[in-house]
Amino acid sequence: MSTTSLPESLISTLPGIYYTDEAIFALEQERIFEQLWFCAARSSDLAGPGSFKTVQIGRESIIVSRNRTGAVRAFYNVCRHRGAKLCTEDSGEIKRAFQCAYHAWTYDLDGALIAAPNLTKMPDVDRSEFGLMRVAVREWLGYVWLCLADEPPSFEQAVMQTVADRLGDLESIEHYDLDNLSVGRRIVYDVKANWKLIVENFMECYHCATIHPELTEVLPEFTDGYAAQYFVGHGAEFGQQIEGFTIDGSPGMDRIPGISDEQDRRYYAITIKPQVFINLVPDHVIFHRMYPVAPDHTIVECDWLYLPAVVESGQDVSLSVELFDRVNRQDFDACERCQPAMSSRVYAGGGVLVPSEHHIGAFHDWVRAQLSDVT
Amino acid sequence: MIRVCPLADLARGEAKRLDLDPAVAIFHTEDGEVLAIDDTCTHQDASLADGWLEGCEVECPLHSSKFDLRTGQVDAPPAKRPVRTHQVTITDGDIYLTIASEQPNAPAGVDVEAGP
Ligand code: FES
Ligand code: FES
Ligand SMILES: [Fe+2]
Repeated sequence: MSTTSLPESLISTLPGIYYTDEAIFALEQERIFEQLWFCAARSSDLAGPGSFKTVQIGRESIIVSRNRTGAVRAFYNVCRHRGAKLCTEDSGEIKRAFQCAYHAWTYDLDGALIAAPNLTKMPDVDRSEFGLMRVAVREWLGYVWLCLADEPPSFEQAVMQTVADRLGDLESIEHYDLDNLSVGRRIVYDVKANWKLIVENFMECYHCATIHPELTEVLPEFTDGYAAQYFVGHGAEFGQQIEGFTIDGSPGMDRIPGISDEQDRRYYAITIKPQVFINLVPDHVIFHRMYPVAPDHTIVECDWLYLPAVVESGQDVSLSVELFDRVNRQDFDACERCQPAMSSRVYAGGGVLVPSEHHIGAFHDWVRAQLSDVT
Repeated sequence: MIRVCPLADLARGEAKRLDLDPAVAIFHTEDGEVLAIDDTCTHQDASLADGWLEGCEVECPLHSSKFDLRTGQVDAPPAKRPVRTHQVTITDGDIYLTIASEQPNAPAGVDVEAGP
């Protein structure tokens, strides 16, 4: 924290070291990403029994897959014998069992140890004790959420309540029927910036008029610098001449039938700490998931979700994709522009937040609190 | 002849390992046949009762060798030598087993503790 006193309009950010330091990053992995609910995959990425993905959560590699009945299961990607990594691919499909490539310990789709060389010669080995280590799983909004904590926080409190607090109630997001939307486009961004710079960027719109000319054309109120996330339940209204949430304001796709009239022609944004951002517009949903990989490196996976009929019929969604893809690139460029300065000696004490950014201070307090009993 | 268990205790598609010396695996196929072979794969020490039953063939859970349950022959490598088959009879709803008289084909090194 800065020691010089600031004028009332300004509050300080986190010190620069929070964006560069390996030890702080390791602590964040341990205290934040390995403790909270982490949105790991789109449910449709796991097509059926045996299809799997491996995801990095904090410092751990996790296998997410479907068992024989189609239920999602998640396991640490660590063989119980001598630790070999079970799945080395990012995704794939296994026929019947996960088998370790080292000594062939074999686990079924629920993680149970079902076979191993000489296993019958060791009748004292209880197979149920040597299955893959399980990770807590929830499916919500058509996504698979995992929690590595020994005692996961309540999903209802930690995740669902965040959405309800932002939108005013939970029904507001249910209107968009995210469970049943289809992925029309997925873009993966490789961002050379600390994950917190990305969160902070999503939380404010002070930058909107400067770096998002197309977005502010569609959402004129963003030129005021107050993000859609500033007021509970508020959605930014489309401009008068704007027909749809597209790069040129041209009409979008069919409106998602469940949304209310108040939700029509509006844009809502939600941040679910620590790594999810959701944007709701009348005809699609933009769903971002972040994977922090290093203090200065974050992968952002972004899905554009449309009504299944839109995707099945092969309608051209590129005008709507282009709008937020451009916003993302503008934002991530800005984050990458900040990252090198985080280690500058003149930024050691951090920067400042103007009033329309003051709510970011609450995010900083939250980060400090998560790390606090050790720092 | 050994009395194994009531037929009703072994559902179709299921297998049972009998802890004899050497161990025997009994399979109840989806078609309702009951067949018995040596439980230990001839490739390495794996229990075939833990394997995957398909038709009247079992696939070893470790390296996918396949054995014909009727003949004991290897249908797919890496195993090279057959397993023995044992005679099964069902009497009054109970499964009975008559162990084959020939020598079993134990996997190489099954009793050897040394490394490669
Ligand atoms: S380390 Fe996996 S079987 Fe040995
Ligand atoms: S142990 Fe059966 S195939 Fe290798
Ligand atoms: Fe932005």
